[in-house]
Amino acid sequence: MSSSFTIHVLHSHPKACCLHNVISTRRGARVILHDGARIAIIGGGPAGSLFCIFASQLARDMGMALDFTIYERKSFASYGASGCNMCAGVVSESLVQLLALEGINLPPAVVQWGIESYFFHTEGGSVEIKSSRLRQRGIATVFRGGGPAGSLAKGIQSFDDFLLQRAVEHGACVKRTFIDRVCMEGDKPRLYSGGKMLQDCDLLVGAFGIKAGTGKMFEDLSAGYKVPPTTKAVQSEIELGSDWVERRFGHSIHIFLLRIPGIKFVSVIPKGDYITVSVLGKYPKSDHITAFLDHSAMKKFLPSGFQIPQKFCHCFPKISVGAAIKPFARRAAFVGDASSTRLYKDGIGSAYITAKAAAHTALLHGIGEKDFREYYFPACKSLNRDNLFGQHLFFVNKLISVVSPVSRGYFHIVQSEQKNLQKNTPYSDVLWDMFTGSRFYKDIFFRTLHPWFILYLLGAVVLYPIKKAFLFFANRWKGVVL
Amino acid sequence: MTEESLLGRLYEDGETIVEEGMQSRTMYVIQGGKVKVVKNDNGNETVLALLGEGDIFGEMSLFDASPRSATIKAVGEARVLAIEHEGLMKRIKMDPTLALRMIKQMCQRIRDLNARLIVTKKAMHQASEGLLQLQRTEGVPRKDLEPKILAMVAQLQENLHTLTEQYVPRDESLP
Repeated sequence: MSSSFTIHVLHSHPKACCLHNVISTRRGARVILHDGARIAIIGGGPAGSLFCIFASQLARDMGMALDFTIYERKSFASYGASGCNMCAGVVSESLVQLLALEGINLPPAVVQWGIESYFFHTEGGSVEIKSSRLRQRGIATVFRGGGPAGSLAKGIQSFDDFLLQRAVEHGACVKRTFIDRVCMEGDKPRLYSGGKMLQDCDLLVGAFGIKAGTGKMFEDLSAGYKVPPTTKAVQSEIELGSDWVERRFGHSIHIFLLRIPGIKFVSVIPKGDYITVSVLGKYPKSDHITAFLDHSAMKKFLPSGFQIPQKFCHCFPKISVGAAIKPFARRAAFVGDASSTRLYKDGIGSAYITAKAAAHTALLHGIGEKDFREYYFPACKSLNRDNLFGQHLFFVNKLISVVSPVSRGYFHIVQSEQKNLQKNTPYSDVLWDMFTGSRFYKDIFFRTLHPWFILYLLGAVVLYPIKKAFLFFANRWKGVVL
Repeated sequence: MTEESLLGRLYEDGETIVEEGMQSRTMYVIQGGKVKVVKNDNGNETVLALLGEGDIFGEMSLFDASPRSATIKAVGEARVLAIEHEGLMKRIKMDPTLALRMIKQMCQRIRDLNARLIVTKKAMHQASEGLLQLQRTEGVPRKDLEPKILAMVAQLQENLHTLTEQYVPRDESLP
């Protein structure tokens, strides 16, 4: 029986439904979660685990107990690509704070490095940016899996594994089974693996990220659902030893905006004994990593005589660059990357937002298509709308970096701001918030539209070359006099 | 604990994190170590609570914008994560359930305060009853009464001290 047919029957004859978890109302059938309801979560990454944690917490507050099963084929404790969810592994400032408020404090074994500033390296020079709001190590770098290949016994705990264990503490049962078929049988989703029926569930949660095969399976199940568009990045883990990492990279994430063909920008993220090099470009290749490591701007950060290992841990992760279409259905919701995610930033933060919104909708409002549309979908739409502002900001950022006088002017203002963090630092804050993901793009966008912001920048563009010329002639004059 | 992998800011033993009477709306979550909540009364420092890893403090000023009601100091080395006020208020407006854990912790503190109030009331009642009994006693020379009064004052002080001691560790188990 097709899913659409089932849905049609139920909507046409709401009174015919005598299931105990379907409440008849004047407007039609309302499907809710009852005490002991079974929830199947496909994918044990942050989105799946967080959904389980939030739903379980709220259910307990409401005096209910739910039965959660998380299907995750990977063991996140494994080393190398087999245990990794392939991501740069930065937990943003706002997410660190939100998780702490939720009672999820990241332990030292999970946090590989505490980050307190960002360095921006351009062809014209470097500038360090610190948050003017809070001076602390507020950003965490983590490994999504058990660590890079060959990192055995280095005391690394996977971020995904940590969250999954928290979900288990909240009562989730984790199964290493690969779900290869999902269909609607009667009113409920039914899961199969290798032709064997595993279970019926009251609610199905798709937290499978951007895996094409699983996405296709759900597109077939849920009328209207379409996985988000993706692009590729290339990243690698390079072992340098924690002393070297501390000395050369400090507690900073380094962004390289260099003119290397095929590369938009490169992030270098310190993680204990390792650095993660993440390259964003149009058609990323492993050659881009070697080209970047060979660039003079990066070479000074590496030990003298550093040779790129022949075999180094690298991968080509997919990045979601758009939104899924209709990430919900009757008795089904899609969360995390399978739904909506913030542009280029804070994928784990988006998983937090969508997982929480879906969990609260399911518990407080219901699990019908209408419930998800009214209460869950606005959270996704808000992320999607915010990404439109993000696109504008990244476009303007690119424009500024191309037009040298403007980028020099901006660079100069930021440098002056960083000398005195007690004063207002609007230009640094824009860069900080854009690259750390600690504010919504919409907030940042409207800050940049302030007339004073634009006028001061234009002033710097005009005055900086004059000041430079004046200093040049003053020095020459001094030289002549002396 | 690995220093590199701890979040927040490190405070030395005895360093003040929050100063009583100061205006600030930042809230904190302890990432490692312990802190004590102290109230200053004419130079006398009373420890109100001892907080540990995962505990939240400074949430009252976040909501009511009043000056800090107590001083918070590090006990040994403590690493504390500050939660920025402006961003948090925006988030709470979007997702009010974020405040649930803070409300639960405040509920627990009100319960503890109620329990302390009852014990204090009992101790004060016992002391006043004892003094009234002494007043009613006739024919006892004043010098014989003094040791009894002193013993009662000592007992009262002991009761109040026990009260603080008893409830300080309870705050450690706050959710």
